[in-house]
Amino acid sequence: MSVVRIDLNRCIGCKNCVEICPMDVFYFDEKARKSVLAYPENCQSCGQCYLNCRGRAIGMSNDTYGYPITAFRGATSSPMNRMIVTEPGVIKELTKGKLP
Amino acid sequence: MKDNNKTPRMPRTMELPRPEKVTCPYEESYQADVVVIGCGFAGLNAAVSAKEAGQNVLVIDKGRPGYSGLSPWPSSFRWFDPERGDDEEAFKEAMKRGGDYLCNLNWYECWLKESKGIYERLTNWGILAQYPKAAEAGDFYEREDFVGYREMFDKFDRHKKWIEVLNRYEIPYLEHTMVTDLIAGAAEPEMERENQAAEAAKKICGVIAFHVPSGQVITVSAKAVVMATGGGSYKPTGYPVGGDTFDGEYMAWEMGLPIAGKEFEDFHTTSSQAPGNVFLDNHWQYLENIWLCGGDVDLESAAGYASAKGYAMVLKRVQNSVNGVPLANGSEIQNVATANYTRRGGSKVYETDPEEIRSGKMSTPVAASTLAGAATGMCCHLTSGVFCGLGETDGKTEIAGLYVAGDGIHATSPSGSAYPCGVGFTSCFTSIDGDHAGRAAASYAAGESFASLPEEEIQRKKEEILAPLSRENGFDPNWARDVLHSIMAPYWITVVKSEATLKAALVQVEYMRDHVVPKLQAATSHDLRLCLEMKHKVLSAELKLRAGLERKESRGSTYREDYPFRDDENFLCYITQRKAENGESTFDKVPVPDAWAGDREEAYQSRYVFYFPGEPEKMGFQLPERGRKGKGEQK
Repeated sequence: MSVVRIDLNRCIGCKNCVEICPMDVFYFDEKARKSVLAYPENCQSCGQCYLNCRGRAIGMSNDTYGYPITAFRGATSSPMNRMIVTEPGVIKELTKGKLP
Repeated sequence: MKDNNKTPRMPRTMELPRPEKVTCPYEESYQADVVVIGCGFAGLNAAVSAKEAGQNVLVIDKGRPGYSGLSPWPSSFRWFDPERGDDEEAFKEAMKRGGDYLCNLNWYECWLKESKGIYERLTNWGILAQYPKAAEAGDFYEREDFVGYREMFDKFDRHKKWIEVLNRYEIPYLEHTMVTDLIAGAAEPEMERENQAAEAAKKICGVIAFHVPSGQVITVSAKAVVMATGGGSYKPTGYPVGGDTFDGEYMAWEMGLPIAGKEFEDFHTTSSQAPGNVFLDNHWQYLENIWLCGGDVDLESAAGYASAKGYAMVLKRVQNSVNGVPLANGSEIQNVATANYTRRGGSKVYETDPEEIRSGKMSTPVAASTLAGAATGMCCHLTSGVFCGLGETDGKTEIAGLYVAGDGIHATSPSGSAYPCGVGFTSCFTSIDGDHAGRAAASYAAGESFASLPEEEIQRKKEEILAPLSRENGFDPNWARDVLHSIMAPYWITVVKSEATLKAALVQVEYMRDHVVPKLQAATSHDLRLCLEMKHKVLSAELKLRAGLERKESRGSTYREDYPFRDDENFLCYITQRKAENGESTFDKVPVPDAWAGDREEAYQSRYVFYFPGEPEKMGFQLPERGRKGKGEQK
């Protein structure tokens, strides 16, 4: 349940993710002119960095850090929950035929 | 500060070379007539209202205004409008009964009178702009094209509006800056004479904060402070409150202020499809407009409305938690072709009048959520925080110049103990709360001069803030976060409470307070924020457990398995706790005025609109065979 890097080469250095993130997950590498995904374990999965990433260099993953977070299905127990949102349609592809 | 000559922990992603030194873009000290801490709905309204009243305002936000806290995430907005058919008495009845008679009618009257004005204000700011939903705007839904939808309607994106409004009113703001402590000094002699209470001898003179990316400590001298810091959660689980960590509650506690309502629980749910993933659970409803609500309660349906809410938000939560849910329970991402487009909270007029703007919430389908515990630790909307008194509608606290506003930090309770009033109430109400506090703070500041900040105390606080950076041995705050969540998340702590389970949790939380929090260790200023937040979250957990133990009855969103009934004689009251000299809690009960308490003589069975498991047996009555009072049928 956090932001993931799809491709650092796509980062255009717009800093949107660094400035928007309320959880201080990113910092900006001034030399490389790219954002650095430094603390994904503190991501609250609001997805605002992903939505505002102009280079489309980041995505949202359903992997959790640590244990199942409710008493019900944990995020790692279902094939649904290994998916990563990257490009349009990817959710559908990954989950085809796997929904109950 | 991110490079402090120590070796940070092993990088957690491959792209992290080593945190770089970040330069703080801000000065080390500031001065402002009114400081507003936190910039959600309450903070933004407080800042603008104080500025409009002619005061210099400085906003400080732990993230970026519009993206941090809970305010970027409401999916609906409700205001009272008699011209659109809203009935004052019907709303009041639903609120009183549904809130189990803990509804603060003074604040509720404020909503009745002022919510339409707030609707107009937020509309003017662009926050309530309406635009086509994903399923109707093209093939965004079919293609799961979240970014494409955002780009298509980018100009309507409400998150951006917060900074646009601050700029429009020329209000400066410090972002990514965490306020850690309030600074108060002795009040002037005339203040003491005017107000004999010991606490009133203190007056606010500023705040101390640190810029998270760089670790630079910042002091701000202020005449008045509005805390609009929000509430909190121990860990984000299906609801975006990871940054909400009870910072304001901690500061208020340290100031000796009374805290109320911690025993009432958040009712939001998450899905089994992706219980911890806010984005996957809520994508379309957060991407679409804030839905306009209201016009759905009339006198005939008021009791049934309240009953339905109680059933959905309290009983279903208890049942799902205790019994679990089937493997395939439908809480997966829905298909638009088969999705149920039920409107929630919309006007009855909408069915026949296409011009009616209050359609209610009808977002493009997302994962259905049925699992309790979306935001462990968060209290029921508007019940918890600093208690200012039943008649106080400015958020004025016992510290001169200190005001509180908003959900989670100001215990206003317009919706009682169970939030029966329907979707969209909180985003509107917190705006009113903020507006009041902003105006009151400005009016206070106008008659005050700046007090000098006490050097010694500032120095001491600075050392306290930075202490986790210089510990040789200690614990990772992320580990502590997960441990606290494990203690507080089980349903026998927040959903079905008992003396034994609450006490067991309290022992563990007190252990963390005494042995873990003092040894939290930071390698970077990022970690430093986490260490301070853990201190706040552990205190909040302790207050929550103590409040839960103190209320030896069931009411609204708090259910005690060992006391499964309402006890009007002993607990038709607000329970407040404040820090005693030994650091423990001292409790007070503030009784509900007769006018808010409904008919105390009414038969128990009809006085309350839903019953807890075990309640009919305990109170000696039988549930009617075929449900009761409209749609909120209880089987």
